Amino acid sequence: MSNEAVVMKNVCKDFKVLNRHEGLKGSIQDLFSRDYKTVSAVKDVTLTVNRGEIIGYLGPNGAGKSTTIKMMTGVLEPTSGELLVNGKVPYKNRTENCENIGVVFGQRSQLWWSLPLIESFKLLRDLYMVPEKDYEEMIELYRSLVDIEPILHKPVRQMSLGQRTLSDILAAFLHNPAIVFLDEPTIGLDVSMKAKIRELILGLNKEKNTTVILTTHDMGDVDALCRRIIIIDEGTKIYDNDIEHLKNYFGSYRTLKIRRTDDTWEEYLIDEKTTDVMDVIMEKQKEKKIKDVKILEISTEEVIKKIYEGGAR
Amino acid sequence: MNPKRLLAITRAGIMESLQFRLGIFVTLFANLIYLVLVYYLWKAIYDSSGTDVVNGMTFTDTMIYLILATALFNFLEMFVVWDMSRKIQSGALVLDLLKPMRFRKYTFWSYTGNHVVQFVLTFIPTFIVVMIVTGGAIPLGLNIVWFIIATVFALIINYNIEMLVAPICLFTESTWGINIVKETIVLLLSGATIPLAFFPEKARMVVQYLPFRAVYDIPLSILLGKSGSDTWQGLLQLFALQIVWMVVLTLAGNLFWNCAVRKVTVNGG
Repeated sequence: MSNEAVVMKNVCKDFKVLNRHEGLKGSIQDLFSRDYKTVSAVKDVTLTVNRGEIIGYLGPNGAGKSTTIKMMTGVLEPTSGELLVNGKVPYKNRTENCENIGVVFGQRSQLWWSLPLIESFKLLRDLYMVPEKDYEEMIELYRSLVDIEPILHKPVRQMSLGQRTLSDILAAFLHNPAIVFLDEPTIGLDVSMKAKIRELILGLNKEKNTTVILTTHDMGDVDALCRRIIIIDEGTKIYDNDIEHLKNYFGSYRTLKIRRTDDTWEEYLIDEKTTDVMDVIMEKQKEKKIKDVKILEISTEEVIKKIYEGGAR
Repeated sequence: MNPKRLLAITRAGIMESLQFRLGIFVTLFANLIYLVLVYYLWKAIYDSSGTDVVNGMTFTDTMIYLILATALFNFLEMFVVWDMSRKIQSGALVLDLLKPMRFRKYTFWSYTGNHVVQFVLTFIPTFIVVMIVTGGAIPLGLNIVWFIIATVFALIINYNIEMLVAPICLFTESTWGINIVKETIVLLLSGATIPLAFFPEKARMVVQYLPFRAVYDIPLSILLGKSGSDTWQGLLQLFALQIVWMVVLTLAGNLFWNCAVRKVTVNGG
């Protein structure tokens, strides 16, 4: 097997959308309308994901993340460009491709709703034709990573959201796929569950060398899991590099925190290339007394926020 | 194809159906009410006709036919159209497309478990009750074997009819009306509500060659030894009709589904 899990070359995806008209009259018009417009969800994206990597695939809502994931899983066909997953064209060999990938959509469960988790596992084992020995090994590995006993015999519909997400992730890894796609896996979870899930993903990636492609809006996920991130906005790739590089991607930003005498904190984002931090402190000092000062590295969250808001272009 | 896979899906289906045991009792109860209604309706029809035999069927014949048709309906009933429209609206169709099996095959087998449960819990008890009440009016012999084969064919034909209607939701995004129309057509033309013998001569000529009949009327006729199924030639004719429709509808269903799934992959569903 080659070293690349996913190769995308100039991939574009257009959707044809009916131009809707307003009002009742417009709705009736729409019945017969042939007036389509083309919406480009993904524009000319080129990227490579290597085996064993955990990639954070980020972008604001509606940026084209899910469209890209759906193309990689073979559910959507690219309009143009070349896309290879595990060395194969996914939409042409969807069924075959599915044997080698695992998918978790944070908001939907692929488990059998009314059955205990263990039954879903057994079913997936037979569905993916996992040899008994590998299955046992995998369950053992799960036991060592998380405490699965309490949920193993619980029907999925009785689980909490956290337990269900955990179960879904375990189910996606069960057939030891080469790539696992996690689409917002930590959405709606509490802090300790998030930590547990991150630990689990990291552990599975390490043990099985599984490639993980993760979309999320939680920068905690990114900081904990990903070494490399790809950011896409309005269908175009705007960043593809390490997290460390990201922080000085568009200027060396720092956060300045000033505590006033009444114990309120003020925050300023400063680009050191254009403004001097000391100048700002001096200026603020003139306004009002300062009790304490902190200079912080910019957090990933803030960098991403700036990028989404268009600061990068 | 790996039989272990298919068995595993069927097994899960059986377990899932058994979770809803209350639903099974409700079905039996609803059937009872329906059958009381049918009983009085047909009693009135026979009383007003002035003869004991109408269109070659006695009152008892008609009742046996309709009771078994109802039981068969519960057993063959599928919710492919309904399920698919729900999956399309919620976006969960993607999850089924991501199974390592062809979608049509996976969907078919995911219903099998339910069929098995319904067969054991509604069809067999109904059959036994009919046998006891009528004092053994249904002949028991090879016809049981033929009936089971015909029922399996009926299952496949019914599934393909469903799969010809279900993908329409991908184009219309709403299926309630379409589903009602489909159900009415199937129930009427298949002989599940009115025995085909009661159809006007000309209508029957057409209906008896349509695929709907292969779902309810043919298995029932074979079980009850009607429609010439008591002779080898008649039996073969009935099977031939089923097989022809099975092949035609499977091919058509495949074609239509591939077309529909292309719409999903090209335009995101």
